[in-house]
Amino acid sequence: MFFYGFMQRAFQASFFISLIAPMLGLFLILRRQSLMADTLSHVSLAGVALGMLIGTDPTITNIFVVVLIAVALEYLRMLYRSYSEISIAILMSTGMAVALVLMGLNDGGATLSMNQFLFGSIVTINQQQVLMLAILTVIIGSLYVLFRKPMYVLTFDEDTAFTAGLPIKWMSILFNILTGVTIAVVMPIVGALLVSAILILPAAISMRLSKSFNGVIFIGMIIALTGMLSGLVASYEYGTPPGASITLIFIFIFALTVIGKKITLRFKQNQFSKS
Amino acid sequence: MQYIRVNDLAFHYENEPVLENISFEVNPGDFVMLTGENGAAKTTLLRNILGLLKPTKGTVSLSSKNRKGKKLVVGYVPQQVASFNAGFPSTVLELVQSGRFQRGKWFKKLDKHDKEHVRRSLESVGMWDMRHKKIGELSGGQKQRISIARVFATDPNLFVLDEPTTGMDVHSREQFYQLLKHNSEAHGKGILMVTHDHEELRRYADKHIELVRKEGSPWRCFSMDSCKELSKHHSSFH
Repeated sequence: MFFYGFMQRAFQASFFISLIAPMLGLFLILRRQSLMADTLSHVSLAGVALGMLIGTDPTITNIFVVVLIAVALEYLRMLYRSYSEISIAILMSTGMAVALVLMGLNDGGATLSMNQFLFGSIVTINQQQVLMLAILTVIIGSLYVLFRKPMYVLTFDEDTAFTAGLPIKWMSILFNILTGVTIAVVMPIVGALLVSAILILPAAISMRLSKSFNGVIFIGMIIALTGMLSGLVASYEYGTPPGASITLIFIFIFALTVIGKKITLRFKQNQFSKS
Repeated sequence: MQYIRVNDLAFHYENEPVLENISFEVNPGDFVMLTGENGAAKTTLLRNILGLLKPTKGTVSLSSKNRKGKKLVVGYVPQQVASFNAGFPSTVLELVQSGRFQRGKWFKKLDKHDKEHVRRSLESVGMWDMRHKKIGELSGGQKQRISIARVFATDPNLFVLDEPTTGMDVHSREQFYQLLKHNSEAHGKGILMVTHDHEELRRYADKHIELVRKEGSPWRCFSMDSCKELSKHHSSFH
């Protein structure tokens, strides 16, 4: 399978996604925005549907729509500060509704392609998307190295960050835009329904394994690589959708982590009671 | 010069007044305690001062410069910040080191001087030995102490503290007050602290502002009783 061009591109894409996912995922979790990725992926469908309707590259319209909504999300988050999930509910349903209406206007001609965006498909990855992912990885990696400290303080407590003189509004908007663009680029590979799982799960698992902030990102990358690559192999071997296969492997790793931690804790308690 | 100048401030939540007729100043070297019953809008007042909320009436000015003419550094400890973000994946050391970032270290490595500050801050609250622990594994009192260590690590010109001693024992509180007193007396730091321990703190603070319920108001609105100068009590901290 490694000799097929589409599989090579899939592995390359998975490698880049594995580097990006824990960086974005950790900040999304800590900012209580885990579901934001889900919202943006639903909105992404509207972007794809719009591209298909007007006959342009869906990835371009998708990025445009998602960036717009990512900014709107920040506005709504500030408006409903105490109930930030309201912004997610409003935009998720709007995104889905717009997607369905646009698909309807397209006389159903886009249904097959839409399925690829919903569930993801290895064959949909082209060289241009791999290149976009590589560029995105460089941008996000550089921004992480540069803004790691301000983002650490921002995610720990926004009021403290504001008092320390950080431009919290612009940082939040930029973060949302980066998340949106990532989702728009990743969606055709893993599928809109599971893109948020791919972003969130590696960081969620590694948060249980590492004490330090950088440790969570590093372990998250290893977990993401393991899940993504083995998920792709499974997807190829059994003909299952890649997003779903990868997600199930992440869930399996998560379960292993929980059980492993329980066993370690019990072992330590036994050692302690013996001594 | 004043670090904080509040002039006839009023703040309304929607159309309901919660604060009215608030005027006071915090100067370099002032140790001001702010008290009031539960729900007296003490935190709301602090958030107005810091620019997190906009006053409905009146003005708040927070100096941009310190007394040496350099950029004013504000150290803020929000109410129960430690319990708010207990699951944060960070060691005690990482969190306290983050207090140094706003001393021009957002994009630079921490140097020896910064690390020494962090060590001293952690030692001052008795948490140096726990520096490699994950913050989520600490007790409520310990979390509060590292929040304090973080603000000491910042070494700000102005401390704005919202009930920072919640969950701390008497001995730790006394030590903390002595440290603050030393900072205001010896280093000219301005301190504005919301507290419920006013009997303990009045031995250290210079001024006492009490928010009291406004009589005759149909709303639960608070106003300043007065800004009382407290008798000077020199700390034993050296």
